[in-house]
Amino acid sequence: MQVVEEPESAKSREEFAIEVRDLRREYVTRSFFGKSSKVTEALAGVTFDVKKGELFGLIGPNGAGKTTTIKILTTLLTPTSGRAFVMGLDVNRQIYEIRKRIGIVFGGERGLYNRVTAVENMKYFSDLYGVDPGISRKRIPELIHLVGLEGRENDKVEKYSRGMKQRLHIAKALVNDPELVFLDEPTIGLDPAGARDIREMIREMEKWGKTILLTTHYMFEADELCRRIAVISKGKIVALDTPSGLKKLVKDISVVELQTYGATESFVEKLKSLNDVIRVVADLDSERQFVKIQTPNAADVLTKVTQVADGVKIIDKSIKEPTLEDAYLRLVEE
Amino acid sequence: MVLSAKNFVADPQFVIPCIIAPFIFTMVSLFFIVSSSSNNVGASALLAAVLGGGLMGVWGTTVYGSANSIGFDRWNGTMEATLAAPSPLIWIVLGRVLWNTFIGVINGFIVLGIGMTWFRVGVGLLNPGLFVLATILTYVSMSSFGLMLSTVYVLSRKGGFIENSMEIPVYIATGTSFAVALLPFYALPISFIIGPTWGIEAIKRAAVGTAYAYGPLLPTGYWTDIAFMLVATLAYFALSFILFQRVETIAKKNGTIEEY
Repeated sequence: MQVVEEPESAKSREEFAIEVRDLRREYVTRSFFGKSSKVTEALAGVTFDVKKGELFGLIGPNGAGKTTTIKILTTLLTPTSGRAFVMGLDVNRQIYEIRKRIGIVFGGERGLYNRVTAVENMKYFSDLYGVDPGISRKRIPELIHLVGLEGRENDKVEKYSRGMKQRLHIAKALVNDPELVFLDEPTIGLDPAGARDIREMIREMEKWGKTILLTTHYMFEADELCRRIAVISKGKIVALDTPSGLKKLVKDISVVELQTYGATESFVEKLKSLNDVIRVVADLDSERQFVKIQTPNAADVLTKVTQVADGVKIIDKSIKEPTLEDAYLRLVEE
Repeated sequence: MVLSAKNFVADPQFVIPCIIAPFIFTMVSLFFIVSSSSNNVGASALLAAVLGGGLMGVWGTTVYGSANSIGFDRWNGTMEATLAAPSPLIWIVLGRVLWNTFIGVINGFIVLGIGMTWFRVGVGLLNPGLFVLATILTYVSMSSFGLMLSTVYVLSRKGGFIENSMEIPVYIATGTSFAVALLPFYALPISFIIGPTWGIEAIKRAAVGTAYAYGPLLPTGYWTDIAFMLVATLAYFALSFILFQRVETIAKKNGTIEEY
């Protein structure tokens, strides 16, 4: 695992698009009359850097602090303590300078004016970002073409599918030609084809030399796209490395993958009780169930699985190399 | 401002509170004003009443639209995207407030036109030039007041209570429905610190020449009204600049920007 040092020299400012040092954020919830309050620690001392031109991933479970980190870096939230620099600029003091140089894609359907067209949304945000009208007249059709909304750009956004809205989000985020783009779960809720299109656009942005900070729940997406990944859990960075470096954290284990019919919670509990089983991850919601067993002794576990099946039909079984998801699960559950 | 206009035209939910509701409310008030006057009500008093009705329409739209300007972004999920842009929020909101007040002015003229036709009031303005000047400055003053109110919505999604609670008290306090001089003495300071109160007086003076709002309480006259209104308007703009900086800082500290 890479150790993040304390680079705050002028040289580091040139090298890094993002520098975060011991960033902390607490949320205080007060009761109706303000007499009692509850403090929730969303970030408990986060430190990391993102190099210029890098596609950097930030992954973690819900509530781990991913979105809080992005909000602080995009100047939408004030940190409780710690320091953060974006393009060498202080997020607490150089707010407008930072905003000019970044683009943000919020996940989900929010963040667009639905009653007006895609082009009108783009023009509006161009104006807000102070883009010269001559440049935006040229840039907006180019971005519409890039995200594949040609022919539909003059339709009201409310008529768009979720995938189309997400593509428009990306076009909107690029309207000021930002050096750094924040992508907060850009493929959430999209069908596989739509998500693949978005991933292609992200690769395209990387080719243009944009620095990208991506948050996602999809491990294969982070593995496929990111040069380095930080795993955040309970407000702390628990690992920061390349995808292959993170996978090495679980090189001592293999994964037994099962496709079953009729598997229930009790079957999963039986699997968990077997010797050498580290972790069992099961998707029991569909007609066919998918079960993954992490173990240092795959051959032995594979034999024992049939012994505890007890009416559960095992359609397919195999031994696989651990993936980023396996490394992630180990990191966030430790 | 252009986006506000397009959203307005595209969304019928704006038309009801911004045009239809103020229009109905104004017409009902107008009936009250006219029917409560003596049978010998003069043409100038009737014109003043119709003008007051029109100004109620302007004011209702300003309060609703301005306070709701940021509320709409919260509800629509565009608050973060708007705030993340490098343009200071006050300029973004000012454009919207100007549009809402403009819609209010259009509404006011519609009410005025119908009122004049319905109650057979002549169009004879005493001084059309001063009337236009007072109308424009009152438009600016109402916008500045609306701008100041909209800061509450930046702070909290609960800003709607301001929008709902301000409309009728301001109708009364500014003298659109009846002369400010009729209010209890302790309520007068509230009227005097509201810029449009003076603007409404100036409009009525330019239209019918009657100085009947404050009686002996304060110096009266068209230019005095304009001067008081300008002082109040400048104070609102100055206060808005300070408040917008403060509330954005507080909202970012409390983490309430994305709430809807």
